[in-house]
Amino acid sequence: MRIASRGLPLLVAALAIAYPFLVPNFYLVYAGALTVMYAAMATSWNLLGGFTGYVSLGHSAFFGLGAYGTGLLVVRAGVPWVVALLASALLVTVFAVVVGIAAVRVRGASFVIVSIALVSMMNLVVQGWRSLTGGSTGLQVPSPFPDLHRGQTHMVFFYLFLALLALALASWWYVSRSRFGAGLRAIREDEDKAESLGVPTAAYKVTAFALSALFVALAGGLYAVWFGSLDPIFVFSILIGSYMVLMSLLGGVRHLFGPLLGALIVAPAGEYFLIALGETQIHLTATGLVLVLVVLFMPDGILARLTRRRAGPSIPDETAEQRLQGVAQ
Amino acid sequence: MSLLLQGLALGVLTGGLYALLASGLSLYFGVMRVVMVAHPAFLFLGAYLTYTVHTVFGLDPFLALPVTVPLFFVLGVAVQRLLIARLAPENLAMMSVLLTFGIALTIEGLLGTFYTGSYKSVSMEYATRSLTVAGVHLPYDKIIAFWVAAITLVVLFAVLVKSRFGQSLRATIQHREAARLVGIHTERVAGYGFGVGLATAAVGGTVLALITPFFPASHWVWIGKLMAIIVVGGLGSVIGAALAAVLLGVVEGLVLVTVDATWATMMFYVFLFLALLVRPQGFFGGRLAHRF
Repeated sequence: MRIASRGLPLLVAALAIAYPFLVPNFYLVYAGALTVMYAAMATSWNLLGGFTGYVSLGHSAFFGLGAYGTGLLVVRAGVPWVVALLASALLVTVFAVVVGIAAVRVRGASFVIVSIALVSMMNLVVQGWRSLTGGSTGLQVPSPFPDLHRGQTHMVFFYLFLALLALALASWWYVSRSRFGAGLRAIREDEDKAESLGVPTAAYKVTAFALSALFVALAGGLYAVWFGSLDPIFVFSILIGSYMVLMSLLGGVRHLFGPLLGALIVAPAGEYFLIALGETQIHLTATGLVLVLVVLFMPDGILARLTRRRAGPSIPDETAEQRLQGVAQ
Repeated sequence: MSLLLQGLALGVLTGGLYALLASGLSLYFGVMRVVMVAHPAFLFLGAYLTYTVHTVFGLDPFLALPVTVPLFFVLGVAVQRLLIARLAPENLAMMSVLLTFGIALTIEGLLGTFYTGSYKSVSMEYATRSLTVAGVHLPYDKIIAFWVAAITLVVLFAVLVKSRFGQSLRATIQHREAARLVGIHTERVAGYGFGVGLATAAVGGTVLALITPFFPASHWVWIGKLMAIIVVGGLGSVIGAALAAVLLGVVEGLVLVTVDATWATMMFYVFLFLALLVRPQGFFGGRLAHRF
């Protein structure tokens, strides 16, 4: 059992690295890159949602800001794309700290409202500030690799997103084993008690909020240089934010690999829907129904169903009595 | 000056409509402590059904109401009893938002599939003209919307204050356990509360269809606006929401005539954040919301 739990992630990692060479065409490389991008975003969403239990439907705001920040720095300021990517991610993180200070003052339903409002505001700003962003016509970003053809670009970005995913997973793992992570979990279980026990709840929540915004912004920046054209309605859509939530919930928010598993299910299913049914809106209905079913019947996710302890770090669900027995042995 | 008067007058008229659109949200929050993100999606479902009644049968849009109001009432009871009541109470706030968010996506997808993604509108001959009082132009469609909203709200208040059902509903909102102790079937009343809330969405949808073109994704804009209204008014307070709706409608109207449409919409979010930072329980009511 131990070999399975240690070996499986390694096997999956090896498969992921070999993936672009295993598939027969570049479309599947593209779909793979998209899936890994969503997995990276869902994992970084889970840095906030999984640890603290604060459900943000508005993380697409950071995705969009990262994308527009990178795009604008490349197009308007002529900055090299790597510098633009890092600079915009840093700016978005600072912005997230400022927003976070206001946002995490409220709990529960009000926090979700704030997160939805954040996306709508950013959408308004970017569409309204026509002279800078190009408004609703969008922004064209030149390709960073003009010598490569489209398929090879997809391959490069597949590996870039894979590196980002590895970074997000490593951060989650590191946080989950740290004192910081324990504090965040305490906030999820009972924020008032955590506060009274001396956990600096406000600072912890803002840090988690900003950290999770950082990786989402990096994904957004990579998306901008990968796709080359930004549409404010798409990058600031609540749908992208809700994908992160759906993937994390479906996989299991308390597990390291939960969001990744969710992304591996939801993102290919979305692409399949797009091919099988064309550009209809029925994929929204499918997403909505899956979300309703997950919330009603499986709010702890697939991994929690499969195993309580084995997959990844999570709080063991044990009673004080079981604990005592464990100590006595 | 006349420009400001124009903005003020339009703001009061739209504010009245906002009050109707937000009243359902306050009811849901009152009876279940649930933020129903799908309410605007139901508004546009109502608008599309009105559109069908109008184009297929050639009837006046308001003749859709005898069908849509009972239908939405039943839907609301079903949503509460079959879906929301099943959620685990310890994480109700977050999970109910996600659940109703899923419902909103489902409705949007269905609307997009059946009616396509292009703009639809219901235009009546009487709605295109406008009334001019002292240099201020008041479009008839806005006036009609205001009066329909006002009448619906008066009926809603009358039901809440006078009827036995209204009394038990308010008792359930005020103190669930105490209401149960005096023999009120709080589960059933909460279901009916949802039904009444969704019935207001049917009326609101018909009015929206009359005054504005719409497409399936329109509801996202309204989620932000209506959430801002109920937070500023104080979560769970129907009267607070009505006052906040008129206030924000006037602010929007004034900014619309003096600055532009982007800033007019932005005012809702400015007020939302102000309310959350300065007075999270809301400015006009909100004894309920102190824990949020």
